[in-house]
Amino acid sequence: MVLWVLIQREIRSFFISPTAYIVLFACALIHGLNFVFWLEYITRNNIKDFTLLQATVNSFFFWFLLLIQAPLLTMRSFAEENRSGTIEMILTAPVREWEVVLAKFVGALCFFCVLWIPLALDFLGLRILWGHPLGATVSMELLSLAMLLLLGGLFLAIGIFASCLTRSQMVAAILSFGAIFAIFSLSFVVYLGLIGQTRDLVTYFSFLDQMDTFSRGIFDSRPVVLTLSGTILFLFLTERVLQWRRLRS
Amino acid sequence: MISVENLTKDYAGFRAVQGISFSVQKGEIVGFLGPNGAGKTTTMRILAGYLPPTGGKVAVAGHDIVAESLEARRHVGYMPENVPLYTDLRVNEYLVYRARLKGVRGKKVRERVEAVNRLCHLDEVKNKVIGNLSKGYRQRVGLADALVHEPDLLILDEPTIGLDPHQIRSVRDLIRSLGNRHTILLSSHILSEVEAVCTRVLILHRGKIEAADTPENLARLIRGGGLGAIRVEVSCGSEDARRAFAQLPDVETVNCRAEREGWSVLEIAPKAGKDIRDGIFSIVQKQNWRLREMSRVRASLEDIFVELTQD
Repeated sequence: MVLWVLIQREIRSFFISPTAYIVLFACALIHGLNFVFWLEYITRNNIKDFTLLQATVNSFFFWFLLLIQAPLLTMRSFAEENRSGTIEMILTAPVREWEVVLAKFVGALCFFCVLWIPLALDFLGLRILWGHPLGATVSMELLSLAMLLLLGGLFLAIGIFASCLTRSQMVAAILSFGAIFAIFSLSFVVYLGLIGQTRDLVTYFSFLDQMDTFSRGIFDSRPVVLTLSGTILFLFLTERVLQWRRLRS
Repeated sequence: MISVENLTKDYAGFRAVQGISFSVQKGEIVGFLGPNGAGKTTTMRILAGYLPPTGGKVAVAGHDIVAESLEARRHVGYMPENVPLYTDLRVNEYLVYRARLKGVRGKKVRERVEAVNRLCHLDEVKNKVIGNLSKGYRQRVGLADALVHEPDLLILDEPTIGLDPHQIRSVRDLIRSLGNRHTILLSSHILSEVEAVCTRVLILHRGKIEAADTPENLARLIRGGGLGAIRVEVSCGSEDARRAFAQLPDVETVNCRAEREGWSVLEIAPKAGKDIRDGIFSIVQKQNWRLREMSRVRASLEDIFVELTQD
């Protein structure tokens, strides 16, 4: 119940600011242009090698938005409360630390979902208009969506953790973007000619490959476990930091 | 309502609170008084469950502040120094949010928010965005927030800082009226405020309690009992008056405060426990002076404070 009150506050705090709508508009625009570009490219060249969905999830702008959204959405979350001192008001109210952390996460995740609705609508619209969006099946689309949410969750959790460490939004954004970009970069390390176990280990962290796998309609449980456990780990660490501030002696 | 035993708090390499012990009974209004950096805010933050104590035992409403933090926090209404608020919300929205966060449910939420709006005179600004409010109103929103869940204990850190004299008076009246239903612990470095509101005063200096008593008893402590100094204004030169009054048997010191147009103002301090008013009057009569003031100089809390906290 208290959790729900906190979540409502988080969601409201996202939608209360005009910047939210500017970001939403910008994302919708980029998604739309990217989508139209690939749609045009595939139909004009009559490409059968890959689907529109595959082209989209492998495109630069898809990842650009995905990587940059989490730091932007989460840089405020705890940093702003630390700076303005409102964290003191929250933590002296009868609420548990994990409730505060989870509320921040759920709030950010909700707004994250809203930011991806335009792309989902693009695909949905195509399905309604053409019946078959260039080879992609519903299961391919849903799997891609699931992977997107899992990745988003992980990135947001990293962002929230970075945000709770500082009182500066800038520092929070730089920290989380650095961490997220570092993990994402592992997708390219595979191409450096690694062999053996190192290569296997790095492949395990290659979100680019995993996204591609899911967009082909192939389900792989490993990235699911990886992203979920990473999300839980970072939320848990955040909760520990808040706890520690209360209980350290 | 509050029991603190041997509380210590260290910040990196520095002990802010050095083993203080005190307790506050239900219904008391207790004032924490001390110069800046005395450990007032630290102690209050510990009591509110925001900072952990380094050592010692702290219990609020019978609940240990570390082991049963959540339960203890339910009983506390806390208003931090500088009153951090969500500046993007309206007053009403904020209070509704805070009420629900603190466990007020259903129809009670509206009722409580309306009640604290009335109590803290927020009705005219209840639909305004907090970021646009003046300092005085923000302070009152903070107070309304502390009160919204009807806590047993109110902890107010510098509740009148930054307010103008009118607002100070109205907040002070409000606190006094709350004393009927709540136990209150407030901090201040304004002495008159504590003197006007509190039933008991704890003077804190460098992380230690230097004195703890009612304002009246503390005043008596300083004067060593008795009436305190007598202030008189008589129609003669100050030197003559000083010499004449100094001859009284029970007089400790005589100080001249002012002399103008043939009138002198003197403060005459008696020896401990002696009443010299009669003696003063008979001297005035004998010398055939005119007398236009004779009053008691009250040792204010300020004197006590300065006395106890000087290095």
